[in-house]
Amino acid sequence: MGGDAVASRVRVGIVDDHPVVVEGVRSWLSGDDRLEVVAAGDDVDAVVAAGVDVLLLDLNLHGRLVLDRIADLSAAGQRIVVYSQHTEPEVVLAVVDSGAVAYLSKDEGREHCVSTVVAAAADRPYVAPTLAGAFIGDRRNQRPLLSDKEREALLLWFQSMNKASVARRMGISEHTVKQYVDRARVKYARIGRPAPTKAALLARAIEDRLVRADEIGEYRSHAAG
Amino acid sequence: MASHSAAVVTERYTRSAQLAVVTIAAAWHLAMDLPATIGNLDRFRSPGAVVAAWAIFGAVGALGTVRLLRARPGPAWPLLALLVAADAMVLAAAPPDLFFTAANWAWGALGWFVMIVLWHRPIRDFLAVLAVNAGLSLGAVLAAGGGNRVDLGRWAMVVYGTGALQLALKAGAEALNTAAAQAAESATALAAVDAERAAAAELHRARGERYRSIRAAAGAVLADLAEGRGDPADPQLRRRCTLEASRLRRLIAEADDVPDPLLHELRACADLAERRGVVVDLVSVGQLPDLPVAVRRALAEPLAQVLAATRTGARVAVAGTADTVAVSVVADGDVTVLAPAEAAGVTVTCQDEGGRLWVETRWRRG
Repeated sequence: MGGDAVASRVRVGIVDDHPVVVEGVRSWLSGDDRLEVVAAGDDVDAVVAAGVDVLLLDLNLHGRLVLDRIADLSAAGQRIVVYSQHTEPEVVLAVVDSGAVAYLSKDEGREHCVSTVVAAAADRPYVAPTLAGAFIGDRRNQRPLLSDKEREALLLWFQSMNKASVARRMGISEHTVKQYVDRARVKYARIGRPAPTKAALLARAIEDRLVRADEIGEYRSHAAG
Repeated sequence: MASHSAAVVTERYTRSAQLAVVTIAAAWHLAMDLPATIGNLDRFRSPGAVVAAWAIFGAVGALGTVRLLRARPGPAWPLLALLVAADAMVLAAAPPDLFFTAANWAWGALGWFVMIVLWHRPIRDFLAVLAVNAGLSLGAVLAAGGGNRVDLGRWAMVVYGTGALQLALKAGAEALNTAAAQAAESATALAAVDAERAAAAELHRARGERYRSIRAAAGAVLADLAEGRGDPADPQLRRRCTLEASRLRRLIAEADDVPDPLLHELRACADLAERRGVVVDLVSVGQLPDLPVAVRRALAEPLAQVLAATRTGARVAVAGTADTVAVSVVADGDVTVLAPAEAAGVTVTCQDEGGRLWVETRWRRG
């Protein structure tokens, strides 16, 4: 990439069928100079055609859950951050399984939107509390095995106001809390249908030494183990 | 409920099979064993022993019947010991020429009486007693010098006769039991589905009503905004917006068809707080196990205290697995949580975060 600061900004697209929401999301993102909203609207194809690094996508478009589009676009390597008013674990997990890199509930937008998009652009995990709750509530047989610490960090993060509070409760550093939560997210990249977005998340996790390459093959699911 | 109605149905089948066994044993003892005893008194080695054995069989049969029909099983082994002893007495008293005749009645009759005594025990106990009977009678055959092939063949026939019918009856009774239990269970399952459907319909109706009320309130705020009557900068109006939004969010988040009692309790607390103008988010993940009332109360009580003292906003999160339930609230408010009376396995944790309070109650299956 060039050294030009403007050229290296993350190109973000927003898809929502409510113009007022598009404006709201745009205003959250506009405060951060690492991000640039290059396309927005209610037509997924038109926004993707603009060439975006990260697509912020409302799960419910024109009265329909667009899980199939998430799968198609993820299979083509498009990083998608899904946001929705849905918080049920089944829906959230289906979105992550389809290859979306992150999930935000609408009331988490203000607090977590920028961090999520920045992390997504770098293929790094970002787990907002709703996603943490979905991992905890996961009852499917193929769910990955999480360690006790990972589960505890996810649970407290789901309940809590911030990672500093979780760190205090667990008696560990904030950095370690984030590691536990992110490791859980990476384990989820191993299940469901394979997608380049998931592979990128795993590759980056190894590069960041969040997990070791030899650990990846060892992640057993509940069904297997 | 399932086990209860299944029990009612299976009990009726079981009772019939029990009456059959008791009737057969009594008829056998009176119509076969009694004439065989009286008619051969002069030929037994010790007639008194055979009469005593007949009385013992009768007494054990009567006691066993009372226990069986009143469903009060007592210790079986003293009765079995009596039966086997009486069996041995008749075997010893029968001379060789009467050995394979009706006069040597005890080893053939034993099976029905053992079945009465051991009705509620596994089949293998029944077979074990029959094996003892077979061993005793074989010993008697050999002691009487009847080790030839014909005698052994007759012996095997009688031994087969001591258990075959009884086992068939027992197996039939158990097959009926199983079928009856299954029928009763599916009937109960259907009833449960009906009850759930009714509860879901009621819940749907209640939610429809809430939606209409929220829609009217939210609509009023939006209309004020749209028509310029309300000023977006007015803190009062902003507060109304936030409140209506949170009520809508909570309504949308309620995805359960049949409300869990714990969630129901927490929602009631949230509703109360909301009426004071407090914004409450309530999220729930996972499946909540059935909890004893005391545990549920211990989980909800500290949360209720916090919500009652919350000033402006709270987030309640519920997470359940088969073995743990964690209920938490993050709220702004000043409250000292009084830990409830220690209920089995519930811990309360409070953490003050500079003006905001984080309280969690957690239950672990002991």
